[in-house]
Amino acid sequence: MASSHLPNYLHANRKRLGLSQDEVAFLLGAENGTKVCRYERFTREPGFHAALACEVVFQRPLRELFAGLYEEIEREVAARAKRLVLRTDWVKLGNKGSRKREVLEGIAAPKKRKSQRP
Amino acid sequence: MTSAKRKNSCVMAIAPSSRGFGFAVLERGKSLVDWGVKTVKGDKNPGSIEKVESMLGHYNPGVLVLPDAMVKGARRAPRIGRLCKEIAALASKRRIKVVLLTRDNVRSVFFEDGKGTKHMIAKVLAMRFSNELGHRLPPKRKPWRSEDYRMEIFDAVPFAVTDELINKGGSGSRPT
Repeated sequence: MASSHLPNYLHANRKRLGLSQDEVAFLLGAENGTKVCRYERFTREPGFHAALACEVVFQRPLRELFAGLYEEIEREVAARAKRLVLRTDWVKLGNKGSRKREVLEGIAAPKKRKSQRP
Repeated sequence: MTSAKRKNSCVMAIAPSSRGFGFAVLERGKSLVDWGVKTVKGDKNPGSIEKVESMLGHYNPGVLVLPDAMVKGARRAPRIGRLCKEIAALASKRRIKVVLLTRDNVRSVFFEDGKGTKHMIAKVLAMRFSNELGHRLPPKRKPWRSEDYRMEIFDAVPFAVTDELINKGGSGSRPT
């Protein structure tokens, strides 16, 4: 299946802003541009703090900056949600389980959710 | 992490030149992902091939667009023709679809009557991708001056845009 996104778009966004790797590294609180280079070459994933700092620097939401990674994680979570739906005893839960089932089925079908978004 | 191992939906265009090559990576229906000029010193073709190979590995594009240097009437140097052939072979080996476009193809997409200059195309693109290319547009070339190296970017981007527009459904949506 063809992926529609690259793992991240840090390089494109940095180039658009005209910043150097060293400057972005400074803004992210890293020592030098090496880390930024690795993020851009998809050989290293930024930590949570660095990812949020990227959102601040590039003024783009994380799901756009790390679109490919987001897509990958979304697929994994959907697969887990499907497994959870299958292994839950819905009969035992009765009416209480209907809301939970709705939520899990929503997570399990992310494409469907996206198309329903206004 | 993870490199972009699976085929990506992006289009990569390469425009070889006397210095090296200009390149553009365009994501379908979205924006420019990468653009620029790679200069090669020494033996041009092997150096260019090496750089193209690393870029193909990084972006893993679904489509590679190259100028059709072997078309009848083309006035490109034989070295450029050989380089285009080698790049096409490299892409085929990686199972990347190769599209060859001529300048006429590009002009027919950008202009209704199919007539326009390279600088006019560059101006259209500088407006369309103002954040990315707006500041890279060189001044119009004077007849007695050689071409600015930045024009190599504006050689590559139109190929990617043309391929995208052709796939979208003809030249109905000109990038004006």
